Amino acid sequence: MFTNTLFLLSAVLTLGGAAAVVYTKNLMHSCVYLLASLFGVAGLYACIGADFLAATQLVVYAGGVVILMLFAVMLTGGSGNNINRYGLEKITAMGNTKTFFMAGLTAVVTSLVILKILASVFKSHSATVLTANEATVDKLGTLLATDHILAFEISSVLLLGALVGAAVISRPRKEKHD
Amino acid sequence: MISLGSYLAISFALFISGIIVMIARKNIIAMLLGIELILNASALNFVAYTKFSNNNLDGHIMSLFIIVIAAAEAAVGLGIVIRFFQLRESIHIDDAATLQN
Amino acid sequence: MDYTIATIAPIVLLPFFAFVINAFIVKKFTNLAVAISTGAIFVSFLFALRIFLDFMNVYSVGYYIHKTFTWFDLSAGSHIFKVNMGIYIDNMTSVMLLMVTGAATLIHVFSTWYMHDDPRFGRFFVYLSLFTSAMLGLVLSDNLLSVFIFWEIMGFCSYSLIGFYYEKEGAGNASMKAFMTTRVGDVFFLLGILAIWSVVGSASFVDIYNAIAAGKFSNMYALGIPLATFAAFSVFMGTMGKSAQVPLQVWLPDAMWGPTPCSALIHAATMVAAGVYLSLRMYPLMELGHLLPFIALIGGITAFGAATIALVQTDIKAVLAYSTISQLGYMVIGIGVGSYNAAFMHLITHAVFKACLFLSAGSVIHSIHCQEMPQMGGLRKKLPYTFFAMLLCCFAIAGVPFFSGFVSKDRILGDALVMAFSNPIYIPVAILGFGGAFLTAFYMFRMLFLTFFGDPRDHHIYDHAHNEHLGWNSNIPLLILAVFTLGLFYSGSFTGQGEVNLFGSKNEWFSTLIHKPDIASLHHFAEFQSEDFGAVDTRDKLDLPKATYDENHGMSEEEAHHVHQIHHVGAIASIIIAFSGIFLAFSMYVKKSINPGWWTETFAAWTRALKGKYYFDDLYVGKIIQKGLIPFNNLLANFDMGIYDKYAVDGWAAINRFAYTVSRWFDNNVIDSGMVDGTGASVRFMNVILRTIQSGKIQLYFMVLIFVLASYVLTLRF
Repeated sequence: MFTNTLFLLSAVLTLGGAAAVVYTKNLMHSCVYLLASLFGVAGLYACIGADFLAATQLVVYAGGVVILMLFAVMLTGGSGNNINRYGLEKITAMGNTKTFFMAGLTAVVTSLVILKILASVFKSHSATVLTANEATVDKLGTLLATDHILAFEISSVLLLGALVGAAVISRPRKEKHD
Repeated sequence: MISLGSYLAISFALFISGIIVMIARKNIIAMLLGIELILNASALNFVAYTKFSNNNLDGHIMSLFIIVIAAAEAAVGLGIVIRFFQLRESIHIDDAATLQN
Repeated sequence: MDYTIATIAPIVLLPFFAFVINAFIVKKFTNLAVAISTGAIFVSFLFALRIFLDFMNVYSVGYYIHKTFTWFDLSAGSHIFKVNMGIYIDNMTSVMLLMVTGAATLIHVFSTWYMHDDPRFGRFFVYLSLFTSAMLGLVLSDNLLSVFIFWEIMGFCSYSLIGFYYEKEGAGNASMKAFMTTRVGDVFFLLGILAIWSVVGSASFVDIYNAIAAGKFSNMYALGIPLATFAAFSVFMGTMGKSAQVPLQVWLPDAMWGPTPCSALIHAATMVAAGVYLSLRMYPLMELGHLLPFIALIGGITAFGAATIALVQTDIKAVLAYSTISQLGYMVIGIGVGSYNAAFMHLITHAVFKACLFLSAGSVIHSIHCQEMPQMGGLRKKLPYTFFAMLLCCFAIAGVPFFSGFVSKDRILGDALVMAFSNPIYIPVAILGFGGAFLTAFYMFRMLFLTFFGDPRDHHIYDHAHNEHLGWNSNIPLLILAVFTLGLFYSGSFTGQGEVNLFGSKNEWFSTLIHKPDIASLHHFAEFQSEDFGAVDTRDKLDLPKATYDENHGMSEEEAHHVHQIHHVGAIASIIIAFSGIFLAFSMYVKKSINPGWWTETFAAWTRALKGKYYFDDLYVGKIIQKGLIPFNNLLANFDMGIYDKYAVDGWAAINRFAYTVSRWFDNNVIDSGMVDGTGASVRFMNVILRTIQSGKIQLYFMVLIFVLASYVLTLRF
């Protein structure tokens, strides 16, 4: 019962957040709605026993990525920057008519494709029995340190590279010929 | 209620939202938000499948790596955005249509 | 030891590669180019020496090397048209190779001294290398076609070297004259090759010999005369051009415009001898064509006539030039009277002493910078080595016993005498031959005495003459050549009868090595076999009986006795003639007991004729060219301008003009407007459409990506 309630809440939060990200005009608000959506995804993780993933999702996204986004929005002058220069804001929250039309078209095509694939899944897995949840942290730790050690190490190098790269790219440079 | 189908439906909705954001929005940071949504949809798919299909932890590990990559991507992408803003005084995507100058 | 292409071809290819390399590097690395040329010919000489020694000491007499390959094959069905090229080495070739490479080596060495101060020092060696390789190629050739090719290359080299000092007008004219005059002979030679080809179907010497032995030439006629006679005459015309026989002798004296070493190599020792060599190779054909009396007569007239002209020449090189013509005449007499062996021997001995004479003359000219004998005199003390070499050579050419000229010329004259006794048509030949021998002794010693004896006539020149020092590249080549004018190197003995075994296995090596290819005994060619290059020679080359010197030359004892008697008479006569000529020259120019001026005044008309070289040049220029060729030329020119130009060329132009108009219209309207501009327009149109894709807008790209992905998935699933 609790699990079902959590699942429903999380699903509503996720979908509502995503829709708000699409819909919202203000970029700052978009970020906050994204945070809500990510929280919902964390709840969805928790519903099927992925406790460590749910925690990671909260920590990394809520604590890291979204804060980073907000910083970026603020550093670049917020959402009002050059807002009408390209004829934006004609349609709520979107760029302009053309991009809205194209995005809708793409969404319909993609939906058709994905739904076509999902149709078979819905038919075959409709009666899957949910197994009991158990703690995954120790097993995940073991797996990461044994079977997936190489990927683990590579991802650590990747993170380091991304860290250094982001610092180098965004570093303000002096013009050489001033 | 908690079934593979419902999870896939949610992930599908997330994915479509991401795509719409990516194509419709003209703001580079907003496009990055769309990417985050898409990545989350795929991670959710992994976890759902590993739970309902074979009940081991490989999907979790894959999702972990996706989170790692999303974090790295966000860091680098935002770095590029800030640099771009320094150069162009704009974060409009149509200002980034040329490779040079 | 089997000879293969690797051991034979370098003889030709080394000088040729030297030519190719030097042609590129000569301007920057002159000394290196000279060293390459000289080194290449010296290595060739070593190869030739080995071949010669093998042929003389190891192989049996009848042995030969004949290696062929197919140059090109135009056979169609049953019609065989195949041109083979190849190498043919028999005893004669081996001797010839040794002579050419040896003389060329010494002359190269001499040239490094003689030409050293010349601004075109290197270029001279380039020409020498090309010439030497062509000459060696000619000697090695097994067929008339390649002989002709090398023959023409040598003609070109001769042209370039005669015109070497092209700043002088005379040199340029002389080179053209030489080229044009020999061209007359060359055309006939080519005609002869064609005539032979029409019968034999091949130009190979061996095939020609076989055809002659098989009687293929009988009952063949061309223009009403027997084909053999026609072919033999045409080939002999080539000889007349190249070897400067009357009436085509006019180019050789003018060839003296070239540098002296090239005169020595080309116009004395080797190239002019190539004509005689060719006639010797074609001897069976000459015999078959009954051309021998004609040949002998031409030779006699040349030998005597050139000797008379040499009497009045004052230029030291001119004397030598006419002496060369005269000596070539003796070789041709030798061919004509059937003295095959002696004619070839005279070719070799003459090459040696005439090369030496020319080098000596070059040495004289180099030291006093003057060619006129009246301005010389008394140079004996200044140029002792040159004097010594020239003295030996004069003895040789005059026919003094124990010298090479005596051995060879005496045999030719002896055979001429024998023929004169048996056939009256040869009587003028013998008389001309003996008369020429007397004149030869006289004018050679006149030259020697005028140059080296007496008091200096021009003190200015004498005082400026350099004193001679013994140098490796100035005197040594002369002295080496001078040593080889001794008769014993050729006859194997001092007396010329072969008692002393100088070269081991074969006494009288010349007579045992060189055999007349008798038509009757051509059978050994009939069983001839030739190998491809690289094939191993399986024939027996050692166990055939070694021929010994046959004193009777295959005649009966009585006949031989008769011949020997005549030979003895001839030998004694020629000794007397030689010494009397020398004595006359001595008394005229050293003792001065006879005044040469009296002779010239008494026979003034003759002297004028001699000075005018019997007016051959005037005849050619004044009569044939001015009266004959130039009007004919004008007639042809009129035809060309009046008829051909007016109607054919102009008419063609009108047709072209019309075609041009039509095609211009087509070009402008269809090609230019339609196709060319249409291409541009279509490209521009497509450009307008396609350009929108490449917008640089990342969202558009992303959309396209998704559509592509979707379509991919759809096609995969449904």
